[in-house]
Amino acid sequence: MTFDFILQLFAANFGYWWIIWLGILLGIVVGILPGFSPQNTLIMLLPLTVKVPPEQAMAFMVALYCANHLAGGVPAILVKIPGSGGAAATTLDGYPMTQKGQGQQAIVLSFTASVFGGLITSIATLALLPWLSKLGLYLRSVEMVVVMLFGLTLIAVIAAKDTLKGLIAGLFGLLIGVIGTDHIYNTPRATFGFLELYDGVPLAPALIGLFAISEALVMIEEKLIITKEGRANAMASNWAATVEGLRITVDKWWHITWTAFVGLFIGIVPGAGASIAAFVAYQQSRLWSKTPELYGTGIPEGVIAPESANNGVTSGTLVPMMALGVPGGSTAAVMMIVLQYQGMVMGPRLFTSNPGLAYGVFVSMVVAYIFMIFTILPMARYMSRIVLFETSYLAPVIILVTCVAAFAERQYLFDMGLALGFGVLGYIAHKTGYHVTALLIGVILGPLFEQYVVRSLRLSQGDPAILFSSTIGNVLWAMLVLSLILPPLRQRYQLKKAKHE
Amino acid sequence: VEGTAENDGQRPAGADLIIPFLALAFAGYFFFSIADLQWEAKSNGVLIGTALVVLILAQLVRMGLEVARGKANMAMTPLLEPRDVLLPRVALVAITITFIATLPWLGLTLGLFLGLAAQLWALGIRKRKQLVLIPLITAATVYLLFIAVLDSAFPHGPVEHAITALIEMFR
Repeated sequence: MTFDFILQLFAANFGYWWIIWLGILLGIVVGILPGFSPQNTLIMLLPLTVKVPPEQAMAFMVALYCANHLAGGVPAILVKIPGSGGAAATTLDGYPMTQKGQGQQAIVLSFTASVFGGLITSIATLALLPWLSKLGLYLRSVEMVVVMLFGLTLIAVIAAKDTLKGLIAGLFGLLIGVIGTDHIYNTPRATFGFLELYDGVPLAPALIGLFAISEALVMIEEKLIITKEGRANAMASNWAATVEGLRITVDKWWHITWTAFVGLFIGIVPGAGASIAAFVAYQQSRLWSKTPELYGTGIPEGVIAPESANNGVTSGTLVPMMALGVPGGSTAAVMMIVLQYQGMVMGPRLFTSNPGLAYGVFVSMVVAYIFMIFTILPMARYMSRIVLFETSYLAPVIILVTCVAAFAERQYLFDMGLALGFGVLGYIAHKTGYHVTALLIGVILGPLFEQYVVRSLRLSQGDPAILFSSTIGNVLWAMLVLSLILPPLRQRYQLKKAKHE
Repeated sequence: VEGTAENDGQRPAGADLIIPFLALAFAGYFFFSIADLQWEAKSNGVLIGTALVVLILAQLVRMGLEVARGKANMAMTPLLEPRDVLLPRVALVAITITFIATLPWLGLTLGLFLGLAAQLWALGIRKRKQLVLIPLITAATVYLLFIAVLDSAFPHGPVEHAITALIEMFR
């Protein structure tokens, strides 16, 4: 791979500007609408993507994928409804910023953190691809079980104010995620007799119910989403808020960089995904902060960390797909299907047999992020105006339109009812402090968690001791325990210190 | 908006039991449904379910101690307050159920129009122009996106049939 070769790839990708731009626009729409996933959109567009040359198809798919990750933060910030699981952590500080009337600034921060996080990691991936591709090999099913439990524990510790309630919500979600037929014998479990649940609990209705519908049921308690002062700020906001967001971005460049790498490394692990990456980055950001107590009250770092990380994931998930032929996530799996249909064989040989495509993917990503910043940044000011609508108008539209979106994934009326059921469950969880994010991440991880648990147990012929048999796994177990023990110890220490002072 | 409302210094904690009881009931049903399966099909559920039951028991003990010490009571207040939005909230859920149930007959466009108008009314919107325009614009957008562009398999009702007939007429 020479510098000239990379330059040629850049020139070719800039030539696909209209394809990339189309992918970006579609990705933004899909990302903003909860329940629409990039993989489903790509599946719907399969007839188109398999007909065009693979380089163009890849440029389109990559642009759509990256834009989707970026746009998921918009509803998370404005109405506390993440467009995708990866944006769930963005609600923690993004929404409080909106309530303070800093929605425009928060959106700008989310865009810039996403774009620069994505840019940095795509460039890094381009340079370090041969080494990064081996990273995923160190994590086998045993380690993956602990990675997922670790992620869930972090969410319980971070998102929920009460860790015990957070853990209950997370495990409840994980158990809901196991509904459906098992992977080996195809026997149904806990399906309540519904055929629609044989394939497991669909994610779109769970996301829509737990976040959109439950939030709409709560938001009607106030006339506006934002506070009175927040409304005054939002009304008075102008382009200066966008400029201020850009200034904060420049100021926090290092924060964006390292949290993006957290996303990249987690993205390389097959299955770990954007939701875990965003929470780990948020937790790490809070851990190393001089003012951890401000997290959750609406601070820029709380938006930057998850957004930068979930876009870092985009490059990461493509690494195992290109280098090993193992897709890092569901969207990567759809991309792989398209490329295989075109006769491309994923794996190490791709870099010698078709280097233009192998490295071109990451060049497409860089180009897409460059286009994205110019496309989406001017929209921030107008998007943030949505919070000025009264909740009596917003709530009905959110409930019914997202209910309709719940149908879109599998086209079952049952899924609309399921979304409403999750909405009521989410409302109860919201009002009683069982954090809905932990519940949702549990539901998302449930099926994958089962695959890894069963694979590990089959290796040991049913002996659960295998879960403690690897060094990396045991280090992760230790980190998991520490993440449960350290926060209360730290709190106690700070209380003692405050008393002495 | 968590369960923090005070009543004689006591935290109303009754609603905090709903999720644990739901989870407990579901775990019980899950165990029942996997009882006769091969170990591979039930190992994961047993692992998660057992951990969940242990955590729920810990939560029950914690809450029991709080009640015994007089720090909490079993009131369900956080779930029901503020009282003035309780009825509109129930109405939103009831209208959504009706919307889903009648969708096969009304179709997406008409069902959404009526459902949205009813929900806006339930939330106190009385201006006729708003009661008509907001549902109309939303239903038209949803029709265009889901039926005209994405060709999703939403149930067709009188509006969709009329539009199809109109299009056929002009072909």
